[in-house]
Amino acid sequence: MGSLTAPEVGEEALDPDAGAWDSIPSEGVPLVPVPIEAQLNAYVRAAWTGRDYGRSGPVELALARCGGRLLARLSWDGSAVPPGEFTDAAGLLLPREPGTASPVTMGTHAEPVSLWQWRDRLASQQGLPSAKYLVSTGPGVFRPVPAGGEVSARSSRAGARWSVVLAGPAEALATGSVGVAVWDGANAERAGIGAVCATWVEVTP
Amino acid sequence: MGAYGANGDTGEGAGAPGQVAMVFDLNKCMGCQTCSVACKVLWTREEGEDHQWWMSVNTQPGLGTPKGWEEMGGGWLDGQPVPGHQPGRAEFGGGWDFNYQEVFYGGTGSSTHLRPIDHGDGNTGWGMNWDEDQGGGEYPNSYYFYLPRLCNHCTHPVCVTACPSGAMYKRHEDGVVLRDESACQGARFCMEACPYKKIYFNYARNVAQHCIMCFPRLEVEVAPACARQCPGRLVFVGSADDDESPIHKLVHQWEVALPLHPEFGTGPNIFYVPPLSPSRLHEDLSIDEETPRIPPEYLESLFGPKVHAALDTMRRELARVRAGGQSELLDTLIVYHWSDLFGRYTTDPATLDRSPGRVPVRFGRSPGTPTTG
Ligand code: SF4
Ligand code: SF4
Repeated sequence: MGSLTAPEVGEEALDPDAGAWDSIPSEGVPLVPVPIEAQLNAYVRAAWTGRDYGRSGPVELALARCGGRLLARLSWDGSAVPPGEFTDAAGLLLPREPGTASPVTMGTHAEPVSLWQWRDRLASQQGLPSAKYLVSTGPGVFRPVPAGGEVSARSSRAGARWSVVLAGPAEALATGSVGVAVWDGANAERAGIGAVCATWVEVTP
Repeated sequence: MGAYGANGDTGEGAGAPGQVAMVFDLNKCMGCQTCSVACKVLWTREEGEDHQWWMSVNTQPGLGTPKGWEEMGGGWLDGQPVPGHQPGRAEFGGGWDFNYQEVFYGGTGSSTHLRPIDHGDGNTGWGMNWDEDQGGGEYPNSYYFYLPRLCNHCTHPVCVTACPSGAMYKRHEDGVVLRDESACQGARFCMEACPYKKIYFNYARNVAQHCIMCFPRLEVEVAPACARQCPGRLVFVGSADDDESPIHKLVHQWEVALPLHPEFGTGPNIFYVPPLSPSRLHEDLSIDEETPRIPPEYLESLFGPKVHAALDTMRRELARVRAGGQSELLDTLIVYHWSDLFGRYTTDPATLDRSPGRVPVRFGRSPGTPTTG
């Protein structure tokens, strides 16, 4: 996989449809299902072994900086099915230490990773934040960052294609690599059941 | 993965030393829903909780709430979690908005009647007590009884196992199964895994919610609201491990209080005294003294094979009293004074200091609570 840059942009780039993104190089990031053997939860293993999931992707990923924030634009083909119980979601994974092993398990207990997670909201959920700053220590083992982690997201949809810009503190890119994950809501994907990149994408300073 | 318990999968409190338990004597339940309403007004009046009934009473036989819950899977089998179905908005139903505006101000006169408004999520086709009093059997042998249900605060809570974010846990001190809502990510595996389908989803807040056994009341020795408000005086609260408690005697000594669907494998801490019933009638309407109206095999499908011995014990004790004898079991079930129901949980909530910030919470989440992650 190649590497990305994160050029400085203006506030308008918080909009996923802003023209500013046209001139920023992007990378097609292939995704794989989070391995069933990696699921730490006996119930999830019992319920999902042999079921199809994690088929989303690739994600077209571009990065930018805006003031002290890192902006990540993710674009991918979502499901054409309207949301039922579960909605589509996507996330940016950021290793918290250099040399963190593959993002395919969404971090481990020994090597936590940051997860900026956007989730499409149902009509009744418009009061909820558009994105969360989480720490992930395994597939679906997500905990909120207690304080100081402000992440926001804006999304747009053209047909089945989602475009989402996640924005959060630029320090999170300290290790110089990122990963992505996508959850197909129509397939009841959530937590550790989803699609993730198997290798980190390097970001050139 | 081995049997439950491996990897801390069932939560820290499996076999909690002071496990709080409850016994419902179904022979006395009149289906009044006071327990349901007592819970509703105390705990589920906030946004996204309209359809939630942590305590609910259904007529048996029936589809109950959520609709058809007994067939939705979950629980444990041979130490492994069983995949289950997550009940959705339509299966719970309820939480309706009504067309008051149309009826009272719409100018349509008597051609419009009050009805729930369909918002397109299918919730108007079922409700918490939709099949009330339908029951089963054929005239003249129709039958029904009421079954109050809440979270069983199970000894092997598969909901705790299924939660990937570690939000659910079983409290060490009293075995109450709780959820840290700030950690809940709305994944709803708990709802799939719980075989009793007693977890609700708050769509507005994207968190699951369930009965907390009124833990702030327990901590100040007040019985849970459903138990204390029950006008039938049929809900016992206490520890099944205290040899002197009525719960211990009903569950372990006389073995007349049984868990619901023991085959689900989660080890419920809510127990039921199964209902006796009048004799069946023959076709000529003469009495068939040998056969109870409620089919024993139906009761076995709910409470397991021990239900027959439990019913035999109750009938034997009844016969003893009818013959002029004494029965400690029947005296216990009669409950001559309300406080006999609640063990040490007899504090009158009206006597508590309710000034802001005064409600003490004694037991927090124990440090190092294992999670499944
Ligand atoms: S009844 Fe369901 S929610 Fe309650 S402890 Fe048991 S498994 Fe968990
Ligand atoms: S309040 Fe008591 S009698 Fe009324 S429905 Fe509940 S358990 Fe039954």
